[in-house]
Amino acid sequence: MALNEEPSPVANLGTGPEDATGVASDVAGQPALPATRPSDEMTSPIFVPNTLWQAADPSAYDGGRPTDITHLREYAATGEAARDDARWGGALEVIPTKADYVLDLIRMNSLWPLLSGLACCAIEMMSTATSKNDMDRWGMFPFRASPRQADVLIVAGTLTTKMAGPLVRLWEQMPEPKWCVAMGDCTCSGGRYKRSYSTVEGIDRVMPVDVYVPGCPPRPEGLIYGMMKLQQLIKDHRGSWPERPVGPTVPQEV
Amino acid sequence: MTTTSGPSDDPRVTLDRDLGVFEPVPPYPPRTEREAEFYTLGDGQMFINMGPQHPSTHGVLRVVLKLDGEKVVDLDPVLGYLHRGVEKLCENADYHQVISQVDPLEYVSSLFCEWSPVMAFEKLMDIEVPRRAEYIRVLSSELNRIASHALFLGWMALDLGGLTPILWSFIERDEIVDMLSSLTGARMLFNYFRIGGVNGDLNHEFMSRLGDWMSRATEQIEAGNDLLNENEIFVRRMRGLGTIDSKTALRMVMTGPNLRATGVPFDVRRAHPYSVFPELEFDIPTRSEGDCLARYLLRMDEIKQSLRIIDQCLHQMPDGPVMAKLPRLLRPRPGRAYAAVEGPRGQLSTYAVSDGTDQPFRMRIHDPSFIHLQSVGVMMPGHLIADTMAIMASLDPIMGGVDK
Amino acid sequence: MDRRFKARLEARFGDQLTGPIRQRHDETEMRIAPGDVVAVMRALHDEPELRFEFLSDLAGVDTGQVMQVVYHLWSDVTPDWLRVIADGLSRDDPRVPSVTFLWKGAEWMEREAYDMFGITFEGNRDLRRIYMPPDYQSFPLRKDFYLADDAARSPGAGVRPMERSQVPSNAPAAALVRRTPA
Repeated sequence: MALNEEPSPVANLGTGPEDATGVASDVAGQPALPATRPSDEMTSPIFVPNTLWQAADPSAYDGGRPTDITHLREYAATGEAARDDARWGGALEVIPTKADYVLDLIRMNSLWPLLSGLACCAIEMMSTATSKNDMDRWGMFPFRASPRQADVLIVAGTLTTKMAGPLVRLWEQMPEPKWCVAMGDCTCSGGRYKRSYSTVEGIDRVMPVDVYVPGCPPRPEGLIYGMMKLQQLIKDHRGSWPERPVGPTVPQEV
Repeated sequence: MTTTSGPSDDPRVTLDRDLGVFEPVPPYPPRTEREAEFYTLGDGQMFINMGPQHPSTHGVLRVVLKLDGEKVVDLDPVLGYLHRGVEKLCENADYHQVISQVDPLEYVSSLFCEWSPVMAFEKLMDIEVPRRAEYIRVLSSELNRIASHALFLGWMALDLGGLTPILWSFIERDEIVDMLSSLTGARMLFNYFRIGGVNGDLNHEFMSRLGDWMSRATEQIEAGNDLLNENEIFVRRMRGLGTIDSKTALRMVMTGPNLRATGVPFDVRRAHPYSVFPELEFDIPTRSEGDCLARYLLRMDEIKQSLRIIDQCLHQMPDGPVMAKLPRLLRPRPGRAYAAVEGPRGQLSTYAVSDGTDQPFRMRIHDPSFIHLQSVGVMMPGHLIADTMAIMASLDPIMGGVDK
Repeated sequence: MDRRFKARLEARFGDQLTGPIRQRHDETEMRIAPGDVVAVMRALHDEPELRFEFLSDLAGVDTGQVMQVVYHLWSDVTPDWLRVIADGLSRDDPRVPSVTFLWKGAEWMEREAYDMFGITFEGNRDLRRIYMPPDYQSFPLRKDFYLADDAARSPGAGVRPMERSQVPSNAPAAALVRRTPA
């Protein structure tokens, strides 16, 4: 290489706002903006607490809000409702048994999704379910229309503030054990609609998410990879899904 | 006289809270005449809420049905469950960024959603698109139209209960969409059209896959048609359903196959020609019955015409650049432009207002699915609940476009 | 561009036009006052030499100073699109007569213009919000409704901390709002 390697000049990053260069605005009539780094002037962030979704028992999946749906509120207060009542153990349930392992295998191999296709990702979800990329190979073909019969909620498509209520109600109506897959950029973090006035920036603001599948839309192979990750999750956690992290996973300063 | 759904009458079941959200009647007094008229129940009538999540695949649409037994007397669609604020986001974005923002409007036919604003911006800026780019645009968008109509076929049958046609049509659609992905890079939200042309030229992989598919296409489509066209259950359920006559269709401002099925031969490609359609030979299929079966058969005819157009595009494809020479920062002079394309659902048009800056001042997108959902209120009364989904499927709405 | 059509329109609607008829590419544009909407639309729709029976689009536009309602029509007598702009609606209380008496399909388009701008269409039997929830208070597409990202132009200087730091503190509020004629 015969290039003259000139020593790069030491970049003068300046020390603070008074040292900043102005960035000329390319819109006529607008003043030039100072090119400061955002971290130099960080004001206190606005953190919107997640009020839509909380639970009472901290060991339950949604620790914070009392269950008010049925007359089983008293039963929920005893703390027994938070336990996975598909366990066989009784007093021995702290010791994981082979029965638990088999139950996890059963659950992971016949995950029945709920039909909750909201937007474009729903088409790719349907494409994953049909002949060319067949989700039936892993037992996931029956898309149940009723949340009472579904195991996994694959949220495919942008969640708007108007739809957030019905979607959370669908999630609450699903019986435990249940899992949630955020499919597509809009459900992971808001995606291309992040700055919009009517979308929820990521469904993890309103419900716990187990697997995030990014993409716009994710290819069917991507969704299959996400579902296989979910199967791995079920197998590894051995049914102890109440202990997974919940709540917004977006960093506070953004 | 409405009867509210309070707690159950069985004393063993106690509900802590009245599940008010399941009531279809809104909790505030009616604000408009139509709302008052709709939410007043006659004798023996009741409301049923087809909520935003339902097994039909069109998306998040909520319809409140007023029923007399099993017959639908009236209905009130509630939209907005997918309103993403695309028009406002476009106002804050660059002219080029609009293309990717506008893709997910009618996500199964996103090339048309891109074409319409791109044409409007080209009119604003007086840009001339090279002929090869125009031919590529027509070629790829007609492929997209076939994919969209194949999907319509599958959904139509799925909403009537048939599970096989949707599998077949997704095979069809996967092939076409994989072809388009070798051309554009994406399977669904293509982001392929640019202001002044298209993103990349045709490549060898696309052409070989296209040639291979074209040689098989006709038999595949015939096979799909044979599955359903002579099926007695399908035909008997769809014939005479959701009939609309041409005068009402024009009053409801319908376009596209829904209008052509009533007898009005209005196609934007012929009525107001754009791009290179004046040089292409194709017919406009029209039917006159105006029922669901007519709309279905019309779309199957349109697939055949699209194949004709693709064939001509391949034979007449000129050489040349695929993109006009443009500055990187586009700043048109202040003005207004309107452009309409014929999408698979109807006329998709854009009204763009420019104020001289590098961002569009107003980008109004007119979507056909939005208009056609209004006519559901005209077509549905008198039919049964089971026909509700058939009628809505035959109009082929896509909620991304309805809600923007 | 149909020059004879422009002459015909000027001859027919001369005194109702509030501005010159402009033509560009394949569009012809005329501006009228909001009060004349009913008469002009009925004439365009019913008269046998005009026959504009196809309403292609109904849009609301907020120019920053006034609001407009823009109708696009198509007829087989001319190869041009006809754009009718009802100009001069005030931004505080925009009212315009509804065209649902001619095209029932305009009902939802007017509902959308009401939802996004607050334009009241007098005569529309069903003027309620269509996209936003019924208890929503603002009108999103107005120019004084700022997205969180529009920080440089918002007097509120953005919602998120990343945008706040970019706004010069000495910029007058008037310079930040984009007001343009259109």
